[in-house]
Amino acid sequence: MAAIQTTGLTKRYGESVLAVDDLHLTVEDGEVFGFLGPNGAGKSTTINMLLDFVRPSDGHASVLGLDAQADTDEIRRRIGVLPEGASVYDRLTAREHLQWVIDTKDAADDPDALLEQVGLSGEGDRPAGDYSKGMAQRLGFGMALVGDPDLLILDEPSSGLDPAGMQEMREIIAEEADRGTSVFFSSHILGEVEAVCDRIGIMNEGRLVATGTLDDLQGELDLGAPITLEVATVPEGLDLDRLTGVRSVSVEGTTITATCADPSVKVDVVRHVASATTVEDIVSEDVSLEQLFNSYTNGERAEGAADTEVSA
Amino acid sequence: MSTLDVAKKDFLDVRRAKIVWFVGALYVLFMLLLIYAGQTGSQDPNILYSLWNLTAVGAMFIPLIALVTAYLAIAGERESGGIKYLLSIPNARRDVVLGKFITRTGVVSASIVVAFLVSAVLTLLWYPETRIDVLGGMMALTVLYALTYVAVAIGISAATASRSRAMGGSIAFFFVTSVLNVLGPLQLVIDYVANDLAGLEISTNQIAFVQSLVSPTAAYVNSTGLVFPDGFNTIPEELPWFLQGETMVVVMLGWLVVPLALGIWQFERADLG
Repeated sequence: MAAIQTTGLTKRYGESVLAVDDLHLTVEDGEVFGFLGPNGAGKSTTINMLLDFVRPSDGHASVLGLDAQADTDEIRRRIGVLPEGASVYDRLTAREHLQWVIDTKDAADDPDALLEQVGLSGEGDRPAGDYSKGMAQRLGFGMALVGDPDLLILDEPSSGLDPAGMQEMREIIAEEADRGTSVFFSSHILGEVEAVCDRIGIMNEGRLVATGTLDDLQGELDLGAPITLEVATVPEGLDLDRLTGVRSVSVEGTTITATCADPSVKVDVVRHVASATTVEDIVSEDVSLEQLFNSYTNGERAEGAADTEVSA
Repeated sequence: MSTLDVAKKDFLDVRRAKIVWFVGALYVLFMLLLIYAGQTGSQDPNILYSLWNLTAVGAMFIPLIALVTAYLAIAGERESGGIKYLLSIPNARRDVVLGKFITRTGVVSASIVVAFLVSAVLTLLWYPETRIDVLGGMMALTVLYALTYVAVAIGISAATASRSRAMGGSIAFFFVTSVLNVLGPLQLVIDYVANDLAGLEISTNQIAFVQSLVSPTAAYVNSTGLVFPDGFNTIPEELPWFLQGETMVVVMLGWLVVPLALGIWQFERADLG
């Protein structure tokens, strides 16, 4: 059974705005799925349709095998949600928030344990109106964890968090995933997706432009493997781009960057440069997700890549 | 019951809202002032006249309490996004509307009941005759009247997406059904539309009935014949069935149910983006 499945899911606002366009998406049970895209790509609208906050213009969505529109009560019992841009209740304490969710879900959680888990121990009796944005986000995350949900839907979970808070949140997501919880979260921050996701999907302008593991997407795009060398002086007539497997070369001051068709070519590049000058430093990176993301959302993608939809 | 879960949490929240306490206290104070003014300098004060005055002034004051207490209940949460927390856990949209109605009803009723209880004590002290029956009857009618406006405010709140629209809708409704009713133009408009434009030639009583249908305030004022002695002050001795107090109570019950039903219907089909 899929944790989330959408078929032809579409949301139109008025005549002209197509927020989500014919979305076919499957998140498998037990999977951590990162839902990426720039702001306004349709990520939140998609999540809002999964949660029945917004009704699809067309298509169908199911959550945990249940109809997202007809079985909301059962779905809401079994999932945990961190909504985006939702403010907590200023006049209620964190403990009252959690107790309320526990009561509504008929769960047996201990509010103190949840407070501790999200790093709010000792803050539970303050009204949430006094909280910083990050603390409110932690509280929202704590509310999402109530009742040991089968699926966590987190909309921009790291917004408002400092780097340490983001790290803690990633750790909790990883722990939940280890316990078999499926996780679906949206983000426009790439690093956080890279760290915890089994698979990612990239949305752009209402369309799902790619899905797959990070390796799949890198392979499909064929962006090449970059290597950067810091040299004492850039020798004349290096002709690095004549080397087999080197796709492009750029030189900036004493920094030489070569993009190789294959990572194994990198060593040839280093040898070649080292034979002509002194190499002071070598930086070898994977294709960053950022690069990947940019190429998918700027429309300069490789044609005909498998499992990618080409937007019109 | 998720309606009760919504209500329980909303009560925790609303009881800490200063504006609600302020408005409630204002009403208690206002009623005490009337009870006090009704007997000061008088040799033989009559609580019936004080309560009569209360009806007249309360007709415009009560809706304000109800609207202020309830107009943000749902629209405010929709604007702040808190509604997403409410609906991410097992609450149906209907539960949200009904749960909010229960708490706001409780808060408004409590302030009216407190005001009447204190008034009863003061009446015992200051007036020769207490007339607990009339006080009790007026309390019941006033609570029912307040709830019609709570239902309207909740209905408007459920049907609008922002605080400003909920406020605009509530003020407009209050102005037309309460202010224009008390000051007179509502009656004139009905007369003009029905008799001059449509040529229906309806009687003054029928105009009063239409007025009671479109304005809970008119229904409340006309319902007071139920608790005051027959023929007291300006209450006519003879009234057609459609202007009897019982009919007015039914009209007010209608004002409870219809706005809530419309609010739920609108809220259930809304996109909460």
